[in-house]
Amino acid sequence: MYPRLLLSLVLLAVFSVVAMAQQPPVKTHLKVGDPAPDFTLRATDGKAYKLSDFKNKKNVVLAIYVLAFTGG
Amino acid sequence: MSVDSVPANREFAKQIGITFPLLSDFKRTVVKDYGVFNEEQGFGNRATFLIDKEGIIRHIDEGNVAVDPTTVVEACNALQHKKAATTP
Repeated sequence: MYPRLLLSLVLLAVFSVVAMAQQPPVKTHLKVGDPAPDFTLRATDGKAYKLSDFKNKKNVVLAIYVLAFTGG
Repeated sequence: MSVDSVPANREFAKQIGITFPLLSDFKRTVVKDYGVFNEEQGFGNRATFLIDKEGIIRHIDEGNVAVDPTTVVEACNALQHKKAATTP
């Protein structure tokens, strides 16, 4: 009896987390046409990349993924 | 880019065979600046921003739609065609 209840609770918890992950509670304040906030970040190649260094040179796609070792 | 540390991203890149560099926003400043920081979970929500050469945002995908790169690829193509059309 109890193991089944426990399993249900675990499944419920898992589904809740999945549901939360699918509906991000945050919506960006940025809009198309806004200037992109500048940043300097370190990368896996050991270098630092500054967004404004690409100005007048390249278009940039900034892809933010949730966490390493997760899909998508 | 993610909020993972550089070593974590390095291992992630190794595991899935990525050869281009991944950016690390370990201090969560960029995810906050871009309005995608998920405070409850402590990471940046999935999002894709296309920024043109002038530093202006031209396309935004947020949430699960950002998993699929189709729309941002289309936006990139449109941006390049626009540049080609305006450049003599």
